[in-house]
Amino acid sequence: MDGDGQAPLIQIRHVSRRYVRGVDEVHALENVSLDIAAGHFVAFMGPSGSGKSTLLNLVSGIDRPTSGEVVVAGVRLNDLSEDELAHWRARHIGLIFQFFNLMPVLSARDNVALPLLLTRLDKRERLRRAETALRIVGLGERLDHYPRTLSGGEQQRVAIARAIVTDPDLIVADEPTGDLDARNAEEILSLLRQLKNEFAKTVVMVTHDPRALRFVDQALHLDKGILLEGEAAQRAGEAIMLAAHGHSVSGPS
Amino acid sequence: MTAVKYLGLIGANLGRNKLRTALTGGAVMLAVALVCMLLTMPAGLDMLLDTLTSNTRISVHNKAGIVYAMPYAFTRKVRQVDGVAAAVAMTWFGGAFEEAGRVTFPNFAVEVDQVEGVYPDYRLDPQQLADFQRYRDGAMVGRQTMKKYGWKIGDRITLRSTVWPVNLDLRIVGEIPSDNAPMLWLNRDYLDEALKAQGRPGLGIAGMIWVRAADPNRVNAIMRTVDDLSRNSEAETASETEKSFFSNFFGSLQGFVTVVLIVTGLVALCIVFIAANTASMAVRERSGELAVLKAIGFTRRIIFGTLLAEAVVLSTIAGLLGVGLTIGFTSLLRVGAGWSDTLGPLGSFVVTAPVIVQGVFLSLFVGMLAGVVPSWGAARKPVVQTLHEVF
Repeated sequence: MDGDGQAPLIQIRHVSRRYVRGVDEVHALENVSLDIAAGHFVAFMGPSGSGKSTLLNLVSGIDRPTSGEVVVAGVRLNDLSEDELAHWRARHIGLIFQFFNLMPVLSARDNVALPLLLTRLDKRERLRRAETALRIVGLGERLDHYPRTLSGGEQQRVAIARAIVTDPDLIVADEPTGDLDARNAEEILSLLRQLKNEFAKTVVMVTHDPRALRFVDQALHLDKGILLEGEAAQRAGEAIMLAAHGHSVSGPS
Repeated sequence: MTAVKYLGLIGANLGRNKLRTALTGGAVMLAVALVCMLLTMPAGLDMLLDTLTSNTRISVHNKAGIVYAMPYAFTRKVRQVDGVAAAVAMTWFGGAFEEAGRVTFPNFAVEVDQVEGVYPDYRLDPQQLADFQRYRDGAMVGRQTMKKYGWKIGDRITLRSTVWPVNLDLRIVGEIPSDNAPMLWLNRDYLDEALKAQGRPGLGIAGMIWVRAADPNRVNAIMRTVDDLSRNSEAETASETEKSFFSNFFGSLQGFVTVVLIVTGLVALCIVFIAANTASMAVRERSGELAVLKAIGFTRRIIFGTLLAEAVVLSTIAGLLGVGLTIGFTSLLRVGAGWSDTLGPLGSFVVTAPVIVQGVFLSLFVGMLAGVVPSWGAARKPVVQTLHEVF
């Protein structure tokens, strides 16, 4: 239970994820437990190979744990089949990727309307909602533009609009600023914060970007598949803050 | 109807690489057109035979083969068979026109007073027929052959027989007004006299007897009776309808058609492989987008369905164009057949409704076969594996 007496939106209990790579068994996550309350903006941070993307995949129902339990919005994801998970993601999750991954043959509006194809809405309503989502992310004037005519920051905004168009419970972003310059990265982080503040969305993000600390409610640090707690987490946070300070003084390297 | 909403997505993906879509569609279109064109051949040949032949005419020839003769006297027996309206003995003259130096058109010695009775459908000119009967050296020549050599009525020609030891000077007295009868008829008595003039016994044989039945329903009975008449003689006969007789000539052509159909099937299979390869390439280069679609909730069924639909829609549109191309081409042939005698028989190749249906189903089949493997390959992978492979 969170402070309001409500069950957290995300509950992860003793989750491990192992997979086989060649002859080796890789321990991507080891006995991770955490809760994330609804309406929070949380960042998973850590070096490459720390397991943060694996954790994000488990939270978003893209992957399944080897052991442990993942419950999101009251649904135990372990129990769902591949197709049931797909249906669940379509209804409850908005996904944002590092490389935008828009369909180049569709306009911004049609890209945003894509997830709505999985609903029973008629075409007019799908397009209307897509336009609304694009206006929210500040691209109301770019509805009919194709991805190749948009900047990287604009493409990521379209991707965010695509993530929110279904009004999901949870927005999941995997390195959303990883392919953007400093100014666009700040704008995207600000936009995610705005979604949290104005629309009460829960946002979970994986990032290397120390600037993210200024926008999130909570940063969870992982290393070698383990969720850091106590002093270890504090030291990791300080290291990132130091890097963030370096960013603000000298700009990104 | 829910599938309809994906048509926009399918159409957009087909337009992604227009050149590749056009080339793949073009390959399918031509393959379907080729198959449809060849599918018209059996029906076309049958129709061609129907136009060439009469349902009342019977060919009587030596059971051992058409190169073996029958006694000429047998012709009279045939004429007496109940139901026979007329019968004419025809004997291969094998005459080579001197300018050509070889046999370039069929020519027969015929009974001049019997041909009209057997070939009323040729609508021989009565005056020309009378001249044919009047002049011993008279000859009637098929319209195409007249045109080919620039002959006209009144011309004199010499044919050197490759069968008989004679050369005959002939006077063209008439034209056989049929595009399907390129032969030359000469007077049987004229050949008979020429042989006797060389001290030979004369023309006591008939190479073939053509019979016209008074009633098409009596044809089978007449054939049985005629063959019974010759049973246990030195020259037993084998009677068959005119259509059957000519279809035997086309027999080797039908074998050729079978071979062509097999080759066409293989070509269609090649097109399936080409289309499948194209579909595989299209799926491979979109693996990132497919990963995202799966991640945002597109199920395996939808991914599979939309990818397969792309292949099927492209193939079906191309197939319809292919069928249209065949209809246009055969229509053009029919128009050409009216203009040129040499193209005449090609006018028989008509695209019928069954051919259209087969063409459309072939294109559907090509699309499904080409699309099913890459589509299933893309759809079946778990989303996390797809994401790992791509990002």
